[in-house]
Formats: sequence, C-alpha cells, structure tokens
Amino acid sequence: MINLKNVSKTFGKQHALDNISLQFPKNKTSVIVGPSGSGKSTLLRSLNLLETPETGEYDFNDESIDFSKKLSSKTILNIRRKTSMVFQSFNLFPHLTVLKNVMEGQVQVLNKSKEEAKEIAEQLLDKVGMLDKADAYPSQLSGGQAQRVAIARSLAMHPEYILLDEPTSALDPEIELEVLKVLLDLAKEKQSLVIVTHNLTFAQRVADKIVFIEDGKVGFDGDTKDFFESDDQRIKDFLAAMTLQNI
Amino acid sequence: MSAWDIIRDATPQLVSACIAYTIPIAIVSFIIGLTIAVITALVKISHRGGLFNIVKAFFYFYVWLFRSTPLLVQLFIVFFGLPYLRIAGILPDGIRLTPVVAGIITFSLNTGAYASETIRGAILSIPDGQWEAAYSLGMTKRKVLWRIILPQASRVSLPPLSNEFIGLVKDTSLAASITIVEMFEVSQQIAAENYQPLIMYILVAAIYAVICSVLTILQSYLEKRVSRYSVSN
Repeated sequence: MINLKNVSKTFGKQHALDNISLQFPKNKTSVIVGPSGSGKSTLLRSLNLLETPETGEYDFNDESIDFSKKLSSKTILNIRRKTSMVFQSFNLFPHLTVLKNVMEGQVQVLNKSKEEAKEIAEQLLDKVGMLDKADAYPSQLSGGQAQRVAIARSLAMHPEYILLDEPTSALDPEIELEVLKVLLDLAKEKQSLVIVTHNLTFAQRVADKIVFIEDGKVGFDGDTKDFFESDDQRIKDFLAAMTLQNI
Repeated sequence: MSAWDIIRDATPQLVSACIAYTIPIAIVSFIIGLTIAVITALVKISHRGGLFNIVKAFFYFYVWLFRSTPLLVQLFIVFFGLPYLRIAGILPDGIRLTPVVAGIITFSLNTGAYASETIRGAILSIPDGQWEAAYSLGMTKRKVLWRIILPQASRVSLPPLSNEFIGLVKDTSLAASITIVEMFEVSQQIAAENYQPLIMYILVAAIYAVICSVLTILQSYLEKRVSRYSVSN
C-alpha cells in the first residue's frame, strides 16, 4: 500500500503538487487523469523518487519517508526497487538488445545470474509478445513494440508497483491497442498499477480507482464509476473536453 | 646516390624509431590521457557541492592551463624547467625526468585536457531519459554511468577522440625538441649527414601520413562496430 500525506512540491513559484494526500492500494489499478501540466506526471515520478517533493510523508507498506528531511541513497534505492517506471518515450537502452534490456536490471540490481535473468527475460518477452524480437536493438522496433519491451523490463524487477507515465501517448491509436492489451492483462493478474493517461476509454475500462489532479490538487479520488458519473462541474467539463463533446 | 637509394637507406632507420618511440609514446600517452579525461569529465559534470568544489576548481584549472598554453612550451617546462624547481628540504635537486617520461607525462596531460571536454560533451548528449530509466530500475549512479551512459557516450565521442589520437601521433614529433630520438629527430639527423633535407622531410611526412591513414581506416571500422545498434531496418 502506498500512502501519501500532505505532499507538496514547487517548481519555482508554481505548485506542482499542492498538499496531496492519496492512497494507491495494492493489487489494484489506479489511474491518474487531469489536464496537461496539472502535476499528474510529477505525482507519479515522486512515487519512484525521480522527483523529490519538499514536504509531506510517503508511506510504502510499513516504511515511512519524510520528504522534509534529506533522503538517504539507501532509502531511494529501496523505494525504486519496489516501484518501476514505464515512460512515455520508452527510454529503452539503445546499446543493448531487447533481451539484454530486460536482463540488465535483474543482473545489475537484483544480482541474478545471467542464465536465470535470461530465462526470466524470455518468459516476460513472450508474455508481452516480443520474444521473436529478443535479439533486435531498440532502434529496430516500432513504438508499440518498444513500449511492450519497456513493460517487460519493468516486470523483470518484480516491483510491487508498476508506474506508467502516459505509456501510450506517443503511439498511433492502432498501435496503442497492443500496449493497452498488455496492461489489461496485467490488471487482470492483480499486478498493482498506477497509470497516468489521457485515454479515458481505457481508464474507464481498467481502473479500480480514479484520481483527478488539477493545479496540483486532488480534484477527485474514488471509484471509477463515481468519477464518470460525477456531478462536479469541473469534472464534467474535463470529461466533455476530453471526449470532444463541447466542440 | 639517387633519391631512391636515399629513401631505401633511410626508411628502415625511420621505421625503427617510429616503432621504438613514436607509436609507443602515442599509445601510452593516449591511454593515460583518456583515463585522466574520463575522471576530469566526471568531476566536471558532478552535482556534488561543499568541499568537492575545491576538487572541481582544480580540474577546471588543469583543463584551462593545458588548453591555453602551447604543447611545445609545456614539453620545455616539464623537461628543461622542472629540474630547477628546487624546494629546500623537499626537492633539493628539482624534478629530473628522463626525456621519455617527461614526454609521456606532458602528452598525457595535454590529451587529457582536450579529451575531457569531448567526453563531457558526449555524456551530456545522452538524453535524461536514459538516466531516469536506469535509476528507476534501482541502479546506483556508478552503475548507471558504467553500464548505460558511458557505453553510449563512447560511441558519440569515438570520431572526435580518433581525431585527437591522430593529432597526438603527429604531435609526438615535438618530442624531438626534448632530446627523444623519435622518428622526426632521426630524420633530422640523417638529413644533417646526407644534406638531403627535402627528401628526408618528405619521407618522414609520408610515413606519418601512412600511419594516420591506417588509423583513419581503423576508426571507420570501430565506428561501424559500435554503431551496430543504431542501424534500423
């Protein structure tokens, strides 16, 4: 269970995160939505400590981090081993083959033997439908293929949570589907996911809970159904804008 | 004696000086210089503050010093100048280096200063996303550098570093001025004996050109090898 209490972060004068308190339950899919620049990516990146908020508390299971104190590198590595990021621009390692991309973290961070890492990598590549490209380099993949490899790379770390930062925003709609299918499968398997996305159709389908972020504040935190049927004018406007209803 | 006879007689002596001094000095200096360059680049890009700023300032000073003074003058200072650096109690006799050691030290430091900027630029050219992806897997900064960033940066810096190595091979001719009997010095000695400076200096120039051409071919081979991953289908 991830539990954030009164977390804030500023970039200059702008409040990227403004006193955010939220929970991301285990074995559930939480989807973060909101307008561009609302702070949803910052929120997600804070969970992996790629961003460090200035104040507030971050509880991960029974460990607690106080952001107002300087974080030790041990704390940071510990959290990163339990959470794994998938990025909008994939960020595969271009100098390594697909197979080695999925092996790298296992060997370098989890200290697995190469044989064991290779076996796990092959299983995961098979799971995301990319085993036939194991020996290809990332530059030889389409966006959808690259993102599926990136998901396998995350899964290989056996993270408690996978954090996905707009995983399909860089993809064509048709290619987007192949990535969304993989994510739906993971959600079905009760893998804990936190997804930032603009795709509301997908959010509605996959989410156990929705978090709506606006101007760095939590505008909604609750059931998926309640979100899409909300009476709140701000949420109604957002949904209308995202589904092109008010053009 | 025809020009061909002169060339036939002189070439073996030049080639043996090349094998004994020019090439070893260039290779050893480049390896040491590259090591210095990587360390310098890493210090310069480090975000650490506090007392580390003193270390940073030292490396900035070093790069500035060696890039702002002529290599020939640097050689003179290290070989002819340092013996006069007499400090009572610590260095009563100054620092006396053999010509080859003085040459290698100077060439290494000079190469290190230039190559450090090349390597720093190459590291900075790797997108932030690569750092973030590696960090998010839980890798330590050291591992991110050695496993993810430097392998990519080395590919980026291969063409300019090859240039610097080719430059260094030619610059070793300056070692003649600090009494190292390398290839150019041998050509001068032979020219003084046979009064054929035109032929001798064209001959030695041609040998440098041959070495550098071989290095250029080696460079394109290496570039092909390390860029395997950037070929797209």
